[in-house]
Amino acid sequence: MRALVIDDSRTMRRIVSGTLHNLGFETVEAEHGQAALDVLDSGVHVDLACIDWNMPVMDGLTFVTQVRADPALRDITLMMVTTESEQSQIVRALAAGAHEYLIKPFTADAIREKLEWLGLVPAEEYV
Amino acid sequence: MSAMVDSDSVYAIAESVFSAMIDGDEGLLLPWEGDLPQFADPLYAWVDLLGEWQGRAALTTEAPTAHALARALLMMGDDEVVSDADLIDAFGEIANVVGGNVKALLPTQGTLGLPRVDAVLPPHEGGSLSQELRLSWRGQPIVVAVWLFG
Repeated sequence: MRALVIDDSRTMRRIVSGTLHNLGFETVEAEHGQAALDVLDSGVHVDLACIDWNMPVMDGLTFVTQVRADPALRDITLMMVTTESEQSQIVRALAAGAHEYLIKPFTADAIREKLEWLGLVPAEEYV
Repeated sequence: MSAMVDSDSVYAIAESVFSAMIDGDEGLLLPWEGDLPQFADPLYAWVDLLGEWQGRAALTTEAPTAHALARALLMMGDDEVVSDADLIDAFGEIANVVGGNVKALLPTQGTLGLPRVDAVLPPHEGGSLSQELRLSWRGQPIVVAVWLFG
């Protein structure tokens, strides 16, 4: 599995990428939506994109909209990872085509649980 | 905004940010007891809240504490040197997450500016302090403040 981590904060990219590495993902990083589209246009295949909302150049919602408009990218699972926590923003992102929504601050367990729900990591067995 | 952004909510946000992103479940962010010492070498991180309700969420601490926060956030060793770029990015991201959650307390949907970090907090004409939380992180002072503009 490979994930594209899109955030203008390299601190946040490192945190998200580190968590995904621990879950068995390879990661590629991009600092905004346009850079992420450039990664995808270069032929890199990813299974998951973790997308911040507020970024310069191209924001996360625009990225989601553009990915959803491209049939060649329909297999990518899109998860917003953002401070935008108002219900109306969550609805906007899901309506644009995001599959899941994770609000910052988050824990590593929260990422794992979201990916379990999305079927991208096996469900952890609780004793 | 003071009624909507009450001190308990801002404290809950700050505590949640520090426990989730920095300290784990240890809960190292506590109310400051007693008089707050004057900052000798302050560093500010802030984001502006834009839209119908305008304001600012800001963190202030001593520069060495900001370095320690960046090391904790980036999972660096206590002796590792934090680059200026990492300091600005990490400290700014803490303000960004605090500000984003403060924005969610407002009655109308707005947008969030990009985080900024500097040794001086630029004043905003007509701004009034809505909340100021004096906190302690690992025994060092941190102030979380929310302003209302206009």
